[in-house]
Amino acid sequence: MSPAEPVAAVPTDAALIAAWQGGDEQAAAELVRRHARALARFLAGGGAPEAELDDLVQEAFIRAFRALDRFRGQCRFRTWLLTIGGNVLKDAFRRARRVRVVPLDEELRSADGDPHEHAVALEAERRLGDALGQLPRLQREVFLLRAQQGFEYEEIAAALGTTPGAARVHYHHAVKRLKEYLE
Amino acid sequence: MNHNDAVNDTALRQLAERLGTRAAERLDVERTAEAVVTRLRQEPRGAGRVWAAFDPAWLRIAAALVLVVGAGLVARGAFQPAPLSEPALAVPGAGPELSELSAPQLEELLRTVAEPGGARDAGAAPDVGLEDLSAPQLRALLASLEG
Repeated sequence: MSPAEPVAAVPTDAALIAAWQGGDEQAAAELVRRHARALARFLAGGGAPEAELDDLVQEAFIRAFRALDRFRGQCRFRTWLLTIGGNVLKDAFRRARRVRVVPLDEELRSADGDPHEHAVALEAERRLGDALGQLPRLQREVFLLRAQQGFEYEEIAAALGTTPGAARVHYHHAVKRLKEYLE
Repeated sequence: MNHNDAVNDTALRQLAERLGTRAAERLDVERTAEAVVTRLRQEPRGAGRVWAAFDPAWLRIAAALVLVVGAGLVARGAFQPAPLSEPALAVPGAGPELSELSAPQLEELLRTVAEPGGARDAGAAPDVGLEDLSAPQLRALLASLEG
């Protein structure tokens, strides 16, 4: 019987953060690979134009790495990163003063599968995106962290510096208002 | 929550889960990682630390305090009463109430009022005041205050 091959341990976020703080650039690159898509989804869900998504993702990571000294592990790195992404998005909106919407036909051209189904799904997402844009920032972020990213209220509360009860209230207010917008 | 609400909640959540997925899938993660590492290398770690060291919440609180203090100073300047004119009757050490005056102070007051052509023309005052009393009346008042 041959000895079992050692399983390569997947480094935790905390280990990667420590490695980056020790000067390991590849640790930073691995953190980006690990969390970039979730961050991009969060930003896109919050209204980020796709053309600017890459820049916004980069900016959020840069800010996060610069502020890592202040990350105390009160929540997961990803949750903390997404709240930084929320700040980056807010600043981008402030600069642009308007949200640019990707034209529907551009999305449709890049679609695979049934164009009709895709168009319907796209329209539903566009309406939800518009409705999310009407919500106060905190409600929007809590909704996305909960419904899109699947975080627990305790995790969301720790990242946003509030209580789980308050996070729950923000979520339910968001759902109520989104339903009103979408009806 | 009724059945329809539950269905709506589920549908809303499923829609939210899909939100931004296509855009995120089109992100070139490897290129983004390289770009981030390059920027971290090029921009010194200390760059922007002076402001980054201050929590934005504290900056907001400091700005709010400056506004409140500034507004307070402006309001104080606007509503401060005009300085009082010279007291009509100068009585050394006199308080606002006659009863608070000591016996020597009251005697000084009495002398001032009794002087012909004193500091103030008593007849000009529309109301009857201390200055309208005659010297015997003031002495009687002094005696009553001294018990």
